[in-house]
Amino acid sequence: MRFMVIIKANKDTEAGVMPSEQLLTEMGKFNEELVNAGVMLAGDGLHPSSKGARVKFSGDKTTVIDGPFTETKELIAGFWMWNVKSKEEAIEWVRRCPNPTGEESEIEIRQVFEASDFGDEFTPELREQEDRIRAKAAQQNS
Amino acid sequence: MRFMMLMIPKGYESAAPGAMPPAEKVATMMKYNESLQKAGVLLALNGLHPPSMGTRVSFAGGKPKATDGPFSEAKEVVGGYWMIQVKSKEEAVEWASRCPASDNEVIEVRQVREFSDFPAEFQDAVAGLPEMQARAGQGGGA
Repeated sequence: MRFMVIIKANKDTEAGVMPSEQLLTEMGKFNEELVNAGVMLAGDGLHPSSKGARVKFSGDKTTVIDGPFTETKELIAGFWMWNVKSKEEAIEWVRRCPNPTGEESEIEIRQVFEASDFGDEFTPELREQEDRIRAKAAQQNS
Repeated sequence: MRFMMLMIPKGYESAAPGAMPPAEKVATMMKYNESLQKAGVLLALNGLHPPSMGTRVSFAGGKPKATDGPFSEAKEVVGGYWMIQVKSKEEAVEWASRCPASDNEVIEVRQVREFSDFPAEFQDAVAGLPEMQARAGQGGGA
């Protein structure tokens, strides 16, 4: 099963404070363990929301709002995509993670939808389309 | 430049375990996904199960503490994301605006931090990052 492991933002990540060299080194070791265990599929950090935007939808109309966004606790600072056997295994890995922002921090673990989760509603045609899109996206990625 | 388009559906923070998007919504969204892929901008895309099936790990005082979802204090949560490769934030916002989203949904556009975005004094500490990202995902799954 795949899990998205989300590092939540705090005032430091939103202010663009860079992690200490020590934390970067510890995080590098942790990432190496994840890769060696075949768990890590992807991982990236995000620039603060002040460099981002939100698009709101109302009928056919869209409104663009530039960051920063005020609900700091709800924002995302970075993420991993992991392939593990259970949520428990994902939690075990997170427990071994160095405190990701070196202060009060929180990591959210969320299971990814797989095609098989959609059942019959997800028709063979839709599945084929999905496979095609993912294969092309993966090529683009490499 | 890489951007994450984070889909934030209002109400998903309190969705029941196993909640699925309606089938017709999936079909409409797949057409949009296909347009991203045909334009060569799509790197990855995933949907997430509701937070009621997830867990948060906090690190207060350096000790990891796991709390199962749903998270009563959450005002908004991520329902899924796209990773895209575009030339500017404007182009990313343009793509987000084309999404067949509903009135209850907001798309947050956030720039991904690349290796070159780290200041010179951090380059040593993150020197292994590009290689690690290249090795991640080779175990399959995504």
